[in-house]
Amino acid sequence: MRVRYVDLPRQFEDGAVLARIADEFQRCQFILGPQVAQFESRFAALCGTSFALGLNSGTDALFLALRALDVGPGDEVVTAPNSFVASAGAIVMAGAVPVFVDVNAEYLMEAAALEDAITPRTRAVIPVHLTGNPADMDAIAAVARPRGLHVIEDAAQAVGATVDGRVVGALGIAGAFSLYPLKNVGAAGDGGMLTTSARELADRVALLRHHGLRDRDACEVFGYNSRLDTLQAIVADAALDRLAAVTETRIRHAAFYDAALCDLAPDVVVPPRRPHVRQVFHTYVIQAEARPRLIAHLDARGVETKIHYPIPIHLQKAAEHLGYKRGAFPVCEAQSERILSLPIHEHLSSDEQAYVVERIREFYRG
Amino acid sequence: MRVPYSYLREQFADSESILRDIKGLLESTDFTLGAAVAQFEESFAQLCGTRHAIGVGTGTDALFLTLKALGVGPGDEVITAANTFIATAGAITAAGARPAFADVGDDFNLDPAAVEPAITPRTKAILPVHYAGQPAKMAPILEVAKRRGLPVVEDACQAIGATIGDRLVGTFGVTAGFSLHPLKNLNVWGDGGVIVTNSDALDGQLRLLRNHGLRNRDEVEIFGYNSRLDTLQAIVGNHLIKDVEAITTARIRNARALDVGLADLAGRVRIPPRDPRERHVFHLYMFEADDRDRLLAHLVSRGIEAKIHYPVPLHLQPASRRLGYKDGDFPVAEGQATRIITLPVHQHLTDDQVSYMVESVRRFYRG
Repeated sequence: MRVRYVDLPRQFEDGAVLARIADEFQRCQFILGPQVAQFESRFAALCGTSFALGLNSGTDALFLALRALDVGPGDEVVTAPNSFVASAGAIVMAGAVPVFVDVNAEYLMEAAALEDAITPRTRAVIPVHLTGNPADMDAIAAVARPRGLHVIEDAAQAVGATVDGRVVGALGIAGAFSLYPLKNVGAAGDGGMLTTSARELADRVALLRHHGLRDRDACEVFGYNSRLDTLQAIVADAALDRLAAVTETRIRHAAFYDAALCDLAPDVVVPPRRPHVRQVFHTYVIQAEARPRLIAHLDARGVETKIHYPIPIHLQKAAEHLGYKRGAFPVCEAQSERILSLPIHEHLSSDEQAYVVERIREFYRG
Repeated sequence: MRVPYSYLREQFADSESILRDIKGLLESTDFTLGAAVAQFEESFAQLCGTRHAIGVGTGTDALFLTLKALGVGPGDEVITAANTFIATAGAITAAGARPAFADVGDDFNLDPAAVEPAITPRTKAILPVHYAGQPAKMAPILEVAKRRGLPVVEDACQAIGATIGDRLVGTFGVTAGFSLHPLKNLNVWGDGGVIVTNSDALDGQLRLLRNHGLRNRDEVEIFGYNSRLDTLQAIVGNHLIKDVEAITTARIRNARALDVGLADLAGRVRIPPRDPRERHVFHLYMFEADDRDRLLAHLVSRGIEAKIHYPVPLHLQPASRRLGYKDGDFPVAEGQATRIITLPVHQHLTDDQVSYMVESVRRFYRG
């Protein structure tokens, strides 16, 4: 049997997206067309924010949030070292310095470590809802708020995740989402969303994404060009129709893996759960003993797995100038050698899942 | 009669083959830096006669990423024309640098004589714009740049296929930035941009910068950006790039007809000088007009979508306030801003529409 890590073509096989794209060719409003506005308003409703703005990428959503909050050269922004590089990249883009703190057993920013990372130059904190699991926003806010620090959610992997029924994207001053094709709500190319309920922030981001133009002729601030393409909004809007079903399926798949693998502890550690938290499982990450051999074992039997991510950001070549050494974040570093993402996409069949489980079990139990 | 400015609808008369390829893309889901991007980059490099072409998110990013690759940042200055689309200056400030504006000539392009006086010890690059599709005066600009040891980056966003002698724009600077915005001569159906260069080192650096600095899936060489030409848009580009020559020819033909039709209005209407050794590709057909605002209203009332590119020069925009410029700093650009007007010149105009525009302008001045 072959079990793919992703099965994207299945999303488009019914032809509905193509029909919607073809339809747009009758209108030709390719730049910030009405479908962008429609998608934005649906996305804001989903997150429970007053505003959602369509941008070129999730990276740009973080970057423009920082720029709109006037975070720039000389400033520091605290984030997690185990995320995709763009979380730190957006901070560097804004001219600020990324400062990392270690993570907890859930792969999320360790709120207890946050305080020690704060300096007089700290302006913002970017917790990452990695894997689709919301960071501990209350604990982070408890540190950030009294110090006047902005909290921007990196919700790139977490659309629809909730804490006590509160949806991510509405838990900080702004939320940044990615519409990268493999995301739970994906476009057919690059795209991103910024959510906020702060009118002034939304207004500034709307200016910054469109060259700072107040209208065709008046440039209020020098800005950027970072607009969600109308065509991508059309694709993402169709994906939004499926989100509830996709999320439920992913949660069901996760529960299946949990139940089928939990007795392999400590060889296999399944993702920890918190009550009142709805994880949306963009990825299903286990920790695995003898990971390279397990990967080879699964690969030989047709099961595709991935590592998100094998090298923490602070140990990347790009981060050399920041001066971190191996050992700076022991939890994150240890996890990076053990984590493994199993297929969890919504098109996975129960046979395929059972097959993945069997192959893992036979590896450890013979 | 109606003479619309946008011609996108006409492009869809023939959209079936493009849709077929988009259907193929939805089957392969090769959405990010897919095969169509590489193919488009190769065709684009061939079209410009450069070694490399790099597909990026926008024309703005094409300029911005180049400046970053050249190491331009806070404390630096970049010289550009005072009259261009705001994104040229936006790309400079996005890189953290300060735009240093210089006045323009009667061709609406950077005045080479104004470049050297604008150079300071902080100047890191010169960014001439081939405005409206008219190549900037590259020989004297390159001469100053060479003497002062500054790189020249071409803003060729509006000028694909333009030439000076037999040399294409895009081959004069260390890099050139092109836009694929839907209204450009070569367009896609959303945002897109391209950087061309003959430098292998810059090509390598720019490919890193556009894709998060990733050397491969797991290794980050430098902190970068996310600015990739979508595969979906590259598919559109691959279809339309075949038409660039025909589009350019049609625009030049329309422009000639307008030139001829308006020639004897000299005194009221000033057509910019046309140099037979240069190929202006007429992304915009611009001229200077007496009583401009009333002419604009007159044309619009007759169904002609005339526009102004742009009524406020960059140094007088609210965004430039902190740069310290004032009214009078760039008299040529400021004078032109009150007089310029743009007529539709796109490839789908009919001869009747062109004649109607000529007649409408003539009627305004001659009654």
